[in-house]
Amino acid sequence: MSDQAVPTEGASVIGGAEGRSARSLSALLLPLLAAAVVLAPVPFLLGDSRVLMGVALLGLAFACYTIGFNLIFGSTGQLFLCVGALAGIGGYGAVLLADRRGFPLVLSILVATVAAGLVGGLLSWVAVRRSLGVIFTGIITLIFALAFHNLLLGRGDLTGGESGLRIQSGSDTFLGDRILSYYAMLALVLLFLLVHGLLRRSHFGWGFRALRDDEMAAELTGVNVARYRVIAALVGGAMVGLAGAVYAFSRGRISPSTFAFAQVDVVVLVMLAFGGIGTLLGPILGAIVFTIIDELLVELGQLRLVALGALILVLFLWVPRGIIPSLGSVFRKDQHR
Amino acid sequence: MLAAGLTLVYGLGGALNLAYGQMAVMSAMVVLFAMDAGVPVLPAVGLGLVSGAILGLLLDLTIFRPVYRRQGEARVLLSLLLTLGLAFVVDGFLTWRIPFRGLTLNIGGGPIDILGVPMRRGSLLASAITIVAFVLLFAFFRATALGRAVRSVIEDEQGARLVGVDPRRMLRLILIMSGFLAAIVAVTRAMVTPVTVTLGFEITVFALIVTVVGGLGSFPGALMAGVILGIVNSIAASYIGTFLSLIILLAAAGLTILLRPSGLLGIRE
Repeated sequence: MSDQAVPTEGASVIGGAEGRSARSLSALLLPLLAAAVVLAPVPFLLGDSRVLMGVALLGLAFACYTIGFNLIFGSTGQLFLCVGALAGIGGYGAVLLADRRGFPLVLSILVATVAAGLVGGLLSWVAVRRSLGVIFTGIITLIFALAFHNLLLGRGDLTGGESGLRIQSGSDTFLGDRILSYYAMLALVLLFLLVHGLLRRSHFGWGFRALRDDEMAAELTGVNVARYRVIAALVGGAMVGLAGAVYAFSRGRISPSTFAFAQVDVVVLVMLAFGGIGTLLGPILGAIVFTIIDELLVELGQLRLVALGALILVLFLWVPRGIIPSLGSVFRKDQHR
Repeated sequence: MLAAGLTLVYGLGGALNLAYGQMAVMSAMVVLFAMDAGVPVLPAVGLGLVSGAILGLLLDLTIFRPVYRRQGEARVLLSLLLTLGLAFVVDGFLTWRIPFRGLTLNIGGGPIDILGVPMRRGSLLASAITIVAFVLLFAFFRATALGRAVRSVIEDEQGARLVGVDPRRMLRLILIMSGFLAAIVAVTRAMVTPVTVTLGFEITVFALIVTVVGGLGSFPGALMAGVILGIVNSIAASYIGTFLSLIILLAAAGLTILLRPSGLLGIRE
């Protein structure tokens, strides 16, 4: 009898890698700890270089975006092509509230985060209500992202237009310090990983997996697909917004291109695809590797775009499931032999 | 509006091509280099159109192979991601090698008055070419056996296979035609404004919006949406200002998706 259970366990291909490991609490905390240990000493290695610390900070911000996007796209299959716009809502929202309206820093970040979450949830709610497929969700969120970008450019009186804004508030707090803001960002990464991990351990995890494997079957067996989708978009949107706001303050200046589609969404997509869509640690692995690759490519100038595009092509042609699941299946094959 | 008219093949075959604008730009560059090399305008344009078609074929033979191996949403998703990657490669390469080149086709002669409104000869010729291309396409899909075979694949791949139509060949034909049309878009657009290397993404987005509004897979829908959006755009641009008009255009597209997910003239599922 016990022999029969083994093959079914190994046979679950999609989502199998995380299926069992996400069960116990220590299995959740261990990867978190590993990520913290790997990323914590970075400021001591790069501390002297302003440029490299900026890169590291951006990398962590992207890790945050990618975790949020992973929750929305990887867990519930909604292709949100407005990650940059959501981060922009967080970033511009918080900065405008703090600088123009004189809100306290924490409050303005909080308000902007909630706003980004609500927008994400609203987009998802609309998509679910109209039962749009992956593509239409993608197109409508892309349209939203483009509209938001044009709004930023158009309302130059508020946003500073193309050249962007220099941020006054926040520089006297810990976010004005490069190393401390790195750790603040790292804390966000770990927090988001924890939230995503906990969500997957709860009944949400079952819902996510059920609706990703077979939406129709999930709906029929009483899984409230709409609710899971909207909640995932709400939480994911808030994550992206919060990261965008914190990144804006710690960088000290923002411009529309900080949150543009080509600068954010494409990169996030590559990072997630590289790390593995729907895996817990995929986003952070993808973010680390990709940030390093991108930094090495800086010298190429315009060729960077070529390399980025080529990377997307190679990734989706040969490892469409991402590095972690692919490695995982290699290991599992070995175990069977 | 010109780019709009010719998006029809774009949404067909169950795959999206986000490198569409880049295909148009590449064709424009072929025309440009041919003219640089001393080729007269008309043969150069012909060369551009042919190269557009060849690009379509190349696309089909390379990255669309794994795409067509999939079905339904997985196919759309993969095509979207792969062509996005391709668009970046092309864009990056073009802006690296020839950053400031643009194709302009000057149609001589002053403006012509039509009903009291002065129209530039270039725009008139471009509109005429667009309309002719449309009529030809429409005729092709309605009247010829090959056109009907292509439509059958678009509507029901399994069914088409059962009655003896090879979907793979029809999909290849669709991509070749799409490349050819992208080249026409580039050429007609060059008659009105310069086609620069950075225009690719803009063409793609506009084409995407028009396709979605008109209804994926509907030719008259694409034409209608192109005309309507063109009018909305120019009215909004002259009364309100450019940045809001673009947002209005996007909002109109968004609303259409929400109110009629299948598009103005799309087939209801």
